[in-house]
Amino acid sequence: MMRAPVGLLSAAILLLASSADIAAQDLMDHSAHSGHDSMRLDRDGSVMNENLDSLPRGCEALGRHLHFTIHAGVKYARDIPGSIFGMSQYEVRVEPCSRVTVTFVNEDEVRHQWMVHGLPKYLYPAGMFHIEASGGKSVTGTFIVPAEDRNYLIHCDLSQHMEKGMRGQLVVGRGSGDLWSVGGASAYFFRDDYMPRFALLFAVLLAVPGFLATWYLAKRESATGSASRREIFD
Amino acid sequence: MKIRKSLLLLIAAIAIGALSYPPQWYPMPLRLQLTRWFGAADYRPLPLSMDPQVLDAETFCPEDASGWREAQVIDGVSVTRSAPCVADNPYAVAAFVKGTNNVSKDTLLRSGLTSDAVEKGRDLDGDGDPDEIHIRLEVAELNGGSSVTQRPVTSYDIAPGIQPGMWVFAPKLVGMAVENFETGIARDALRLPSPAIRVEQGDSITITLENSHYMPHTLHLHGADHGFVDSSGEGNDGVPITSEIPVMPGHARSYELQPRHAGTMFYHCHVQPHVHVLMGLQGLFVVEENRPNNWLQTMNVGAGLVRAPSAAVRESYDQEYDLHYLDLDKDLGERIRKYRDPRLITQSMHREYDITDADVDFFTLNGRSFPYTFRESLLVAAEGERLKLRVVNGGAKGISLHTHGHKFSVTDRDGVRLSPATIVPQDVVWIPTAQRVDLDLFLTNDGLHSYGRGIWLYHDHQNKGVTNDGIGPGGNISAIVYADYIDDSGWPKTQGVPWNQYFTKEYYRKEIPIWESYAPGLFSNTVSDPWWYPRLAGMALALAMLAALSIAALRRRSS
Ligand SMILES: [Cu+2]
Ligand SMILES: [Cu+2]
Repeated sequence: MMRAPVGLLSAAILLLASSADIAAQDLMDHSAHSGHDSMRLDRDGSVMNENLDSLPRGCEALGRHLHFTIHAGVKYARDIPGSIFGMSQYEVRVEPCSRVTVTFVNEDEVRHQWMVHGLPKYLYPAGMFHIEASGGKSVTGTFIVPAEDRNYLIHCDLSQHMEKGMRGQLVVGRGSGDLWSVGGASAYFFRDDYMPRFALLFAVLLAVPGFLATWYLAKRESATGSASRREIFD
Repeated sequence: MKIRKSLLLLIAAIAIGALSYPPQWYPMPLRLQLTRWFGAADYRPLPLSMDPQVLDAETFCPEDASGWREAQVIDGVSVTRSAPCVADNPYAVAAFVKGTNNVSKDTLLRSGLTSDAVEKGRDLDGDGDPDEIHIRLEVAELNGGSSVTQRPVTSYDIAPGIQPGMWVFAPKLVGMAVENFETGIARDALRLPSPAIRVEQGDSITITLENSHYMPHTLHLHGADHGFVDSSGEGNDGVPITSEIPVMPGHARSYELQPRHAGTMFYHCHVQPHVHVLMGLQGLFVVEENRPNNWLQTMNVGAGLVRAPSAAVRESYDQEYDLHYLDLDKDLGERIRKYRDPRLITQSMHREYDITDADVDFFTLNGRSFPYTFRESLLVAAEGERLKLRVVNGGAKGISLHTHGHKFSVTDRDGVRLSPATIVPQDVVWIPTAQRVDLDLFLTNDGLHSYGRGIWLYHDHQNKGVTNDGIGPGGNISAIVYADYIDDSGWPKTQGVPWNQYFTKEYYRKEIPIWESYAPGLFSNTVSDPWWYPRLAGMALALAMLAALSIAALRRRSS
């Protein structure tokens, strides 16, 4: 019985899904993983596509130098129900053309990443800037954000880390609208149901008196109404 | 007057109903009687065959753009040639042999591994090879769910269009889990099965499980000599109910062992093992005999050909292969995509899923099912070569491993050498769940060990094992291919039916008639019989008329 509306809903979601996929792909747009052309790697972790001084197109001068310290670990997920991996900060707001230095502190005993996607490919191969820290390590990297107002995806690309909490956004200038499913900032695009156990019974209990009341009112009206109306109800 | 009209309508309804009722549905006595009166009905042709569907087949044998198949020497490590289309990354092989802490920076970068993935330390017994080995394992989810896309995340196809949800142990890698974001395909080292691990007898081994997954896991060294507690007195067996608290997400734990006995062993997670082991958290654990200058390929990603075999194996064999059989339950794997919230996933997998009512659907060999097995797990050899096969059945049901054209001998079972009298040629071996067998497969053309050159299948002879969810050919079918029966790209020169349809999703979605490629039209899908439309219309009209007449009659009676 409950399956029908759920089915309809999921059909609607399916239609929406393709557009969400496209939107997500747009933000994640980058060609084949370009390997190690610009990678600083040591035992603590790695920084890929670091950029200290190349200005993105449209930037007349380098903006402010901003510094963020972002912690990662399971303990930062505790306040967000249904997530396992977390970050101390999911939203990073910066002015266009600023130089952003991120110190990524990994408080877990497994690897984590802080990756930004969708950056201009002429400066950042594959459109990404990427910091990876081994368990218990901290790694610092710097990049320069483009001139346009836009939201960029931040995430950890270990299998299921983004899906289980490590998903944030970099907002440049006024941004271009929140991304979906950002920890503590925006809703999940696909969400589990969490339907109460007796929801069906509850719905039926409401529907029965609703039906009876409408029936009663309609009958009363037909008893007192015009002749033509009476014909309809007979 | 009114009654007469109704009567006429009633007669019309019955007539329409009777005329449109399909004769093949008439009761048998009536049909026989009609035959007696009128004889057989006139010939009416059966519906035609449908035109074959135009299919877009995948490339059978992807091009080896980076030259990974070739024999090469990397950082002084000899990596043998791998004949099938898809080969392991030889830089990772070299890094596993020398240790990720000892290889050149270039090799390390090309291997994709972290510098601490497999660390090799001191030579404790002074025999020319390192005896302190530190291995790090992560846990990865393949074909998982997401709150922003409905595509499987970190996708991995075991066969065309088949993407069961899976968990695997993985080597410790640098960077993203996927090749790139457009495809979302898992990078080559993230795959089923969990890597085969190779250590030397007597080595001092530490394995750190870095639990990068969102559920608790452990490492249990099945059959390999290890203490119940480690050097600090902590649990070392990986069994939550007796040994230690599982490794929670984001946490790590080290297991220690110094195996005194050599042989083919096994490792797996021991948290809710009826679910976690079936999901893929299991791998071969090979303890090689101690030899001088024995530099081992500590991990064999995806199992298969060992491209840098041990000294002991090189003494007696030309090639060594790790063969990992695993079956998968579609219904279990789906649950990691059905829910996003780990609380709901856990509830669904560990409470709602009932393995006592379950059955398996997919049958993999080294992480793939037919036809993808032919890209990776062919045993390619020349006549006269001696092959050592280390086989584990990690599946929920037993397998009945059979070779065409050959008889092999079981030399070891569960890592223990059998008595010589029992080592006899056979062509079927029963391998129950979790058992390992070492097989000698000698390509000696003597009418017993081998019947000569060719392409000879080897597969589980239990019938469901050669299907993908009931569609054959599928499952763990692979082949022994003699060197002159394989082309330069690594594809066997088969001379049977065309394979295009097997490389389509549609075939395994059960949409393609199975013999269409070589008997088109004969066993095709049929077009439907258009006569059903007037018949169904007539029957529906008759029923509607009868219903209307009955209601009218009832109303007349009540008024
Ligand atoms: Cu992470
Ligand atoms: Cu587990």
